Amino acid sequence: MLMATNWAERVSAFSRSPSRFVSGTSSEAFLAELLRELRDDRASYSIKVLLLSPLCEYPTVLCPSDSVAEETALELMSVFAQCPPKFAEFRCHLLLAVTSVLICTSCVSSCSHASQDFLDLLLEISQDINDIHGDGTLHSLRATVCDCLRELEACCPGLLSQRLELLGGLRQQETSGLHQAYAGLHTLVLRNAVYQLTQETGAGAEHLKALLGGNTLVAWEADQDSGVMSNKDAAILSSLILGPMGTLPTLQTGTDCKELRSVLSSLLEESYLLTPLCQAALLHRLTEVVAMVPGVPPALLRAQLLRLLGTSEVCLLHATLLMKCAFTDSLFSAEDEAFILKRLVVLSQHPLLNTPEKLFYMDCILHFPENRPISGGDETLPVLLTPQLASALVPTVFNDSATMLARLNLLSLVYLEEVEEVEGEEVRGLAYLYEHLTSLQHIVENGGSREIVVTFFRSAFLFLYYLCHVERYSRSLVEKLCELYLHHTNLAPHLINLADRTQDRLSESDWAVGLLRSLQRVITEAPLAQLTLQDLHWHLKVLARVADEGEIPQQSTLGFLSGIITPSSSSLCVSGDWRLGNNMLAVCRRLLVHPSLDSLLIPLADILQHLSCHYGDTDIQDHARLYYTLLTTLSREKLARVLAQGAIEGGRQVEKPSCIMAESERLTRMLTIHQTDKAIFKLVNVNSQAQTNQENNLNPNRTETCPDEANTAVEAYTAQFQNPDFASEITLMFQLTHSGTHDSLFDELFSIRLHFTLTDDHYEELSDISVPCLFRERPSPILNLSLKPRRPYPTTLHASAIFTTQDGLSWHTILPDIHVNFQQVFLPLPTPQAWGQGSKLCLFEGLWNKISSDSGENNLAECATSLFCCQLKEEALVALVDKHFLPYLISELSTKDDLKVLFFLPPQSHVLLTIRSEEDAVHFNIATDNWQLLSHISPYLLTITSSQEDTHS
Amino acid sequence: MSVRAVWIISHEKGENVSIRFSRRFSTVEHRAKGLAGPSYVAVPEENTVLRLLLTELGLSDSDKSYVALRDDCFYRQRSPALELHVDGPGKGILWPVLAISQGPLILACLPLVDAPPEPRPPLANLLSVSQGLTLLAGLQTFLLGSGTKPDSEGLASRLATLPSVLLKVCPLGTPLDVPLLGAPATPTVPTPAGNQKQPAWKTGLHRGRAVVNVALIETVRSMQYGNQSRQDLWDVYGTVTCKCEVEGVLPNVMVTLTLPPNGSPLQDILVHPCVTSLDSSILSASSVDNCDGSAFSGPYKFPFSPPLEPFRLCSYTSQVPVPPILGSYKLKEEEKQLHVSVTLKLHESVKNSFEYCEAHLPFFNRDQMGIADVKVSSGQLDVSKEKNLLVWSLGQKFPKSREVTMEGNIYFFGPSPGPTDPLCTDLTAYIKLYFKVPDMTLSGCCVDQHSVQVYSSAKPRIVASRELHSKEYYIWNSTGTAPVSSGQMML
Repeated sequence: MLMATNWAERVSAFSRSPSRFVSGTSSEAFLAELLRELRDDRASYSIKVLLLSPLCEYPTVLCPSDSVAEETALELMSVFAQCPPKFAEFRCHLLLAVTSVLICTSCVSSCSHASQDFLDLLLEISQDINDIHGDGTLHSLRATVCDCLRELEACCPGLLSQRLELLGGLRQQETSGLHQAYAGLHTLVLRNAVYQLTQETGAGAEHLKALLGGNTLVAWEADQDSGVMSNKDAAILSSLILGPMGTLPTLQTGTDCKELRSVLSSLLEESYLLTPLCQAALLHRLTEVVAMVPGVPPALLRAQLLRLLGTSEVCLLHATLLMKCAFTDSLFSAEDEAFILKRLVVLSQHPLLNTPEKLFYMDCILHFPENRPISGGDETLPVLLTPQLASALVPTVFNDSATMLARLNLLSLVYLEEVEEVEGEEVRGLAYLYEHLTSLQHIVENGGSREIVVTFFRSAFLFLYYLCHVERYSRSLVEKLCELYLHHTNLAPHLINLADRTQDRLSESDWAVGLLRSLQRVITEAPLAQLTLQDLHWHLKVLARVADEGEIPQQSTLGFLSGIITPSSSSLCVSGDWRLGNNMLAVCRRLLVHPSLDSLLIPLADILQHLSCHYGDTDIQDHARLYYTLLTTLSREKLARVLAQGAIEGGRQVEKPSCIMAESERLTRMLTIHQTDKAIFKLVNVNSQAQTNQENNLNPNRTETCPDEANTAVEAYTAQFQNPDFASEITLMFQLTHSGTHDSLFDELFSIRLHFTLTDDHYEELSDISVPCLFRERPSPILNLSLKPRRPYPTTLHASAIFTTQDGLSWHTILPDIHVNFQQVFLPLPTPQAWGQGSKLCLFEGLWNKISSDSGENNLAECATSLFCCQLKEEALVALVDKHFLPYLISELSTKDDLKVLFFLPPQSHVLLTIRSEEDAVHFNIATDNWQLLSHISPYLLTITSSQEDTHS
Repeated sequence: MSVRAVWIISHEKGENVSIRFSRRFSTVEHRAKGLAGPSYVAVPEENTVLRLLLTELGLSDSDKSYVALRDDCFYRQRSPALELHVDGPGKGILWPVLAISQGPLILACLPLVDAPPEPRPPLANLLSVSQGLTLLAGLQTFLLGSGTKPDSEGLASRLATLPSVLLKVCPLGTPLDVPLLGAPATPTVPTPAGNQKQPAWKTGLHRGRAVVNVALIETVRSMQYGNQSRQDLWDVYGTVTCKCEVEGVLPNVMVTLTLPPNGSPLQDILVHPCVTSLDSSILSASSVDNCDGSAFSGPYKFPFSPPLEPFRLCSYTSQVPVPPILGSYKLKEEEKQLHVSVTLKLHESVKNSFEYCEAHLPFFNRDQMGIADVKVSSGQLDVSKEKNLLVWSLGQKFPKSREVTMEGNIYFFGPSPGPTDPLCTDLTAYIKLYFKVPDMTLSGCCVDQHSVQVYSSAKPRIVASRELHSKEYYIWNSTGTAPVSSGQMML
């Protein structure tokens, strides 16, 4: 029992998902287990039946190769041989499993050993009419055998051609209900055999006769080249009755086809004894045979017609329609045709039929096999279908959705013709359809179910699809839809979808634009005071779609946007609802690429700026800022390109960016900036001598006298600082390079925007830096970062960046912190360009004196002096100066006097050094006008001198 | 003429969905691959099929008001064949998927397209489509019976028998028959005397006394508007159901339907496939035709050889000159109350002897009923305040005058809102009549038991009955707008 449940579970797990099941255990192992269990005497037969279902349903999963299939089939046949006859159901399932295994691999088509054996087995059972048990077990087995043979013949047409006479005989002698199974088999083999003859050049009446007469030798001789038809030849597998445009292979036999006629008559005579399903199949096969052999008149089928035309069975009437399709007026009179069409109309609305059947009959009306077909196109009305006749099929609100739509479709086609015939006149039918649409709309308005809502929009689409050109209705529909929308804003996605679809399908009509224009009007003209948040959400969706239309002016949209975000009228901005903000941005985004952008520029920029400054959600602020920047910095063409690229690459659908699904998907993908896991790139400090003479060109036109006296020098120098921007910035140079592990996604980066944040208040806020691109393969770009110190202290900057990858996605990444050292804040003395060495020395003296006196006089002053000593050899000192002080050196390096060094630190601090070699040590006399710098100077001097000591000791 | 797969799915209004049974026919799939060539789309695994099918049927994501894949206005749900848009590796469109939905069950199958795949052939060219529809309808009847309320245990046990049922009716994907209703009859193996072949649709032979039971049921539908501008509508259709216990392999039986002298011809006659032959005049009258006074009006003879189980021998429609009950419904809105005035008249041609006759007056989109101060001239009135429903039981007979009235006021001030309906807003309201009249038909059609002929040795017992039912019998309030139910009369 445990085993049984286990197997039931395993088999059902396999059927649910063979791929997953097989990935867990190998198909080989599972097959081996199945076969072992099938052979196991202890297993119950009900379980064994279950075990066969994987082989029946997924033979190719379990038997991936022909050899495995061959072995499996032989194995199953041996199980069959050993199974007692009383387990009839299991034996039947075994035959089905072998059939499936052999057909689905190519064993049958290659006439493998196992398939030959199997065919022999089947034929043997099919002829065994001695039901020795008398309990029907052999009866059901023979029924299954016939179906296995039929399926083998169906999959390998021609396989049983040589057995045609045998099968005919078996069919005729069978008096139990099994004759149906033989009839089905016989008909199919006959049909395939005749088809094969049509493919033989020169085949004719004699071959046909030989085939039917069992003189297979003759028939086969003619046939031997083709043999079993290749399964790849789809034509023989196809139905041969394909409507007016299909061509049929024919067998020229002359009128002498007595044998065939007698077989056909016998089959037709007994067709009444078959179940409707088998009868329909048989009639269809015989229709094909008669159609292929012009020597047999279709009138042969006439005796069955009246019975068939009155039938309540859908498949029998369908078979009759296919007969009409094949034989047209050679079997069906004009009255028959009119009758059949009326029947179809009646059946399409018959109270006793189920919905799928009625829909099928309506489909048959639209593909009615006319005796004299005019065209073979899709969905054409039969000539005989008058508006009066079709009026039985007008849609009503009591119909289920599918029926209603099918009827609307049919009737639209009918009235479309009428409109064309009676132009200018009121067409009542059309008026009715429009009224129907209005009734549906009322139901939607009164809270109809989701199904009704969807049906209404589908109806509207169908109506427009056919009758959009009838302006009276299409215009009125726009008004009604707008009214509906105002009361039910949640219908926005449906309306947008309707606009999209009508635009796609009715390219010559501007109905969709008209609808959108009107929607824009009702949204923007409605009083803002009554607007709920939910309404607003949908309004923005609609306005975003409206903004897709280049020909619709967007001023009112902008007015609306500006109306809802101005703080006085609403608290929307403060609320900071992300979704709402996103919806607003979606509108703005489309406006950015709108053809009339030039006229929208200022209000749009205002809105974006407002959002970027006041919206209560940083993400929305950032996006707004991004758009604002794009809008104000990029040219029109570039803007369009950037955004269009994003729209196509970002979303999966390359369709119009108006589909709500795609919109939200794209919004999250495009507008939500993705976060990188780790740093993608970094800024590496570049030591540059460019700083040295940076300030030298500050006042190139100034022709001043060069002061040669300390006080005047200080005066002239200090005067420069009256300009607050004078020498107020330091510029650091960095190289932007990829960092970390290689990830090809980030190999090529675009539109990088670097943003810096301060960690203290010693510096003014930094502006962002834009870098057009960064490719791993190309040289790293050099960036200049300008810092404006308030106090010239060392600092650390946080850096982050937003950039775009090649696939159009935006990313946010954090860069490693940037440390600004004390010495990086040093600038050479910003003296006027014309000043020579002497003047600078004068200034040095002046400053030194000033500082010394100030620091002495007043302890509260900023000035301070200090002394730093260290042990350095002569050469080491020279090297030190050369390496660290050269840009700041005021005295000559060669001089034996004290070395004079002056660091200028923006905005207006100075550190003066007088370096003197004493016997025991080197003395650094320090004077500064910003005593707080002393705490940084000492460590700095310590660092640089100790490094010199190391190298020179 | 085969199907590639069959699925049976149960659900509760789109929730708790599961595939209860599925069967793939691998050899048909093999043919499908050969026929479709490069445009072949394999049948995906169960879960995928389930998801796609529910989307297509509009049952997925029932909590979302709009889902593009499900609700796109362009999708052609008007066809009986659905498209499943398979994504992922086996990308493509699976077509034509047929589905029948009834109560908690969805039955679906995928017929084989035995025609060149491009351009897509019309459904009408594929015999496998009508075969698939027949198979599904047969499975549906087998699983749910003809009743509307299936019991879950019965359903489960019938689902469990499907493997052996399919072994008989569709072993390799080619439907041979529909499953037999009820317990499968013990397979009696006939030993027919002589050469008469046994019909494949007959599972055995009857032995014993011959009994033929013929039941004629007519159903009347009506939409009455009580309005000058809109014509009242009614129609009648009848079915003749037989149960024949007659000996012999292929016994002959003939049932004759007759009409009274001035009866209007039976139209749209559909017959069971066991009917052996038909006179063309029987089929000539059609409801969509202009009525022709000279049309054939019987007797309608149906020669047939019966199957063992009960079956519907034929059905017809009829155009009768008057509705059996003519009603008038007037509502007047006055502040918080609604003035109701109803008159029902039984036509003199209708037998005044009902099995039951009830008029239901529902009120929608209002507060719950407070007081219903309503008087009826005959019968009994039940007021269901929670449902905002008046049920007027007229009993077995109308009074001698054949006219009954209802008059009064209803006040709606209950504590909570009553039931809603998107169609019946404002004064749009209806009365729905439920009645059954034994031993009569509106068309006058009848099966005379003496006219039933059984060509067999033993003298048969013949039972014939007839009755009239109402269905969708509406009387709309004439002071409100009423929905159009058929354009036929207006155009």
